[in-house]
Amino acid sequence: MPHFILTRIISALVGLLGVVSLVFFLIHMIPGDPIDVMLGESALAADREALRQGLGLHLPLYEQWWNYLTALAKADFGHSLFSGRPIVDLLLERIPATLHLSIIALVIAIIIALPLGLLAATRQHSMYDYGSMGFALFGMSIPNFWMGPLLILVGALWLGWFPVSGREGWNAVILPALTLGTAMAAILARMIRSSLLEILGEDFLRTARAKGLSSLQAIFIHALPNALLPVLTLLGLQLGGLLGGAVITETVFAWPGLGLLMIEAIQQRDYPVVQAAVLCISMTYIFVNLLTDLLYAWLDPRIDWQGPS
Amino acid sequence: MTIIWFFIFFISFAWGCTESAPESTIRIGLAVAPTNLDPRLATDAPSARVNRLLYSRLVDFAEDATPIPALATWEILNSTHYRFHLIEPRPTFPDGTQLTAQDVQETYRSLLDPKTASPHRSLFHNISRISTASESTIDFFLLHPDPLFPSYLVIGILPANLIAMNHPFHVDPVGSGPFLFQQRPDATRLILKRRNDAQLIEFVKVLNPTVRTLKLLAGEIHLLQNDLPPELVTYLSENPSISFQHKEGSKFSYIGFNHQDPVVGQNLVRKAIAHAINREQIIQFALGGRARLAQALFPPNHWVGVSQLEGYSYDPPRARKLLRQAGFTGERSPTLIYKTSTDPFRLRLATIVQEQLQQVGIHMTIHSHDWGTFYGDIKAGHFQMYSLAWVGLKTPDIFRHAFHSQSIPPLGVNRGRYTDTLTDDLIAEAERTSGANQQQRIYQSLQARLLETLPYVPLWYEDNVALSTTAIQGYTLKPDGNFDGLLHIQWATSSTIQPQIVRQTDS
Repeated sequence: MPHFILTRIISALVGLLGVVSLVFFLIHMIPGDPIDVMLGESALAADREALRQGLGLHLPLYEQWWNYLTALAKADFGHSLFSGRPIVDLLLERIPATLHLSIIALVIAIIIALPLGLLAATRQHSMYDYGSMGFALFGMSIPNFWMGPLLILVGALWLGWFPVSGREGWNAVILPALTLGTAMAAILARMIRSSLLEILGEDFLRTARAKGLSSLQAIFIHALPNALLPVLTLLGLQLGGLLGGAVITETVFAWPGLGLLMIEAIQQRDYPVVQAAVLCISMTYIFVNLLTDLLYAWLDPRIDWQGPS
Repeated sequence: MTIIWFFIFFISFAWGCTESAPESTIRIGLAVAPTNLDPRLATDAPSARVNRLLYSRLVDFAEDATPIPALATWEILNSTHYRFHLIEPRPTFPDGTQLTAQDVQETYRSLLDPKTASPHRSLFHNISRISTASESTIDFFLLHPDPLFPSYLVIGILPANLIAMNHPFHVDPVGSGPFLFQQRPDATRLILKRRNDAQLIEFVKVLNPTVRTLKLLAGEIHLLQNDLPPELVTYLSENPSISFQHKEGSKFSYIGFNHQDPVVGQNLVRKAIAHAINREQIIQFALGGRARLAQALFPPNHWVGVSQLEGYSYDPPRARKLLRQAGFTGERSPTLIYKTSTDPFRLRLATIVQEQLQQVGIHMTIHSHDWGTFYGDIKAGHFQMYSLAWVGLKTPDIFRHAFHSQSIPPLGVNRGRYTDTLTDDLIAEAERTSGANQQQRIYQSLQARLLETLPYVPLWYEDNVALSTTAIQGYTLKPDGNFDGLLHIQWATSSTIQPQIVRQTDS
């Protein structure tokens, strides 16, 4: 087991280094000069040069890359070109909001997807099945930039139950979480259904029923835990995406999370913030995938902890 | 166990939510939040507008953009020596101390310090020395005469003692303006307190214009100013629960050309384009009538503005004739690339211009890029023609930055690489002249010359619009779109919320 975990962690770290380097070099390839952003176009040449030297932008690219990596190792992401604030502070300010939204969206997705998937699988080719899968298709097809304003119109404007946007009050999270959750639930419900349908035909379930378990007991005790294993991988990927900042949903609902931070930074060409936000999102993906791998290996006895001999 | 899980789930709804401001808070919706509350560092319009509320400044502008005293009056002791006298009673900082000449001196000294990395430093590079003659007298000594110098002194004044302590003004602003910084509960919200009556004003950033509109309709925000697509402005202005104001603005939209390009580098082609664009129709149908035709960088009501300039009327036959004169006859027609951003409204304008140019035989391809790439291309001169706007122009020094042959990037913002000896001479002559009337005359000649040589095709000055719920009253629009109207905004008493006051059109 330690070997398995170590291998996964090392591969995650290698992936992270790759992402950090890729983001660094890509950002430097984008046209535009951070000095222009900070000092404006009318700045004096001497001031431009002084700031360039101060920020270390006069150094060769490989040296800048090395300096960036060593700074990152000390959790120093630099400062925002616009607000002048340390980027770590900006990230720490936004991460709780994204975490909050992601968790609620995930819970909503599971609450919707589990019964739908179960119903569709156990009543295959019935109205329940078609209804559930119709909902799934609907959920997957509606883009969040349309679903969001639609929910605002109904939930906030017509019913007046929720605020239109922002993060004020306990109920502010519901509409953005529903927007994210329904799209996620649709994919999850389809996955649960197909996975469950596969399991329901297995011999061990017939045995369980033959031993006297009711259909429901057989499904909940034996079928569902086995069917949820592939769902776990999907869930991990989805959660990674959510924690990385649901850019569109956060923009529509003015939710002050990582996604909104990234959009703002891209619009303002605040390169260090874009760099840090992308890095943060990548780290989240890598971390969640690592966790999913470990969890999967722990739950599924067929996975070899020792790795190839 | 299930109950515990449900409990955790419901608790998590409330977890981390930010606290609401008191009910009595007046909320303003913004498309872009102010990013930097240090006036020495802020360059974006929202920060500049909020900083005007937090800090007081030496000089302000009248409606015609002439510099007028704000904190101080001034006298010109000689062409390189300006003396400013602080007007009594002087404003106070939040700790009760009065603003002094020392604060002014330290603000400008720190701004000139390269370590501050102020984007405004280049504007003040002409200052050789600043000294204080008394607690309320400041002397500015210049390297060279500059009659426009007082117009530059609009930077908010910071307390000297906090400057010395390297206080983080960008996140914790301390000024002597009419508002106090109260709180920034999260990245999308900023709360200020009005000094004279403790009224709280909250700026709420909502990026999406549709959601901003819905928030206004739901009463979650009380005022929106500009930054809305024309169709949403029209929709809201027709809503009986919304009060609508619009006022002539100074945001100047134009089409720029690359003067080194073999096609648009020809004045005849640029003139043909100017005659081919039906600006009146665009204003009427695409901008909802909320703009006025522009013939020059500054509107006629600006102190250097010219009202009698004759612009390029919509005249397709004349445009075709000019193209023929430029050598585009028969099968040979100009093919141009028009660069713009990805903003849906700017794209729509581009397609209208494309259609209108097609009518006179100019084939135009639209290249739309994200803002950074677009702006980078413009600065680098990688374009034939493009559309942009100048926002918040006040002082005529812009003529040197935008049109002088020595202001080609990176030395200035002459992005079209426009060179004209007469223009250079007029700019230099205006800068040498000290009398306001003489300066005005030269700048007016300069604008006539620019209209003749067309580095830009002037399009229009966009109006400012304000949309508010009937729950508030007293807000007035300013030509440059600043938030000074918040000084007088207040809750409407129930007797004043009547349908007859819903429409307040001030045009």
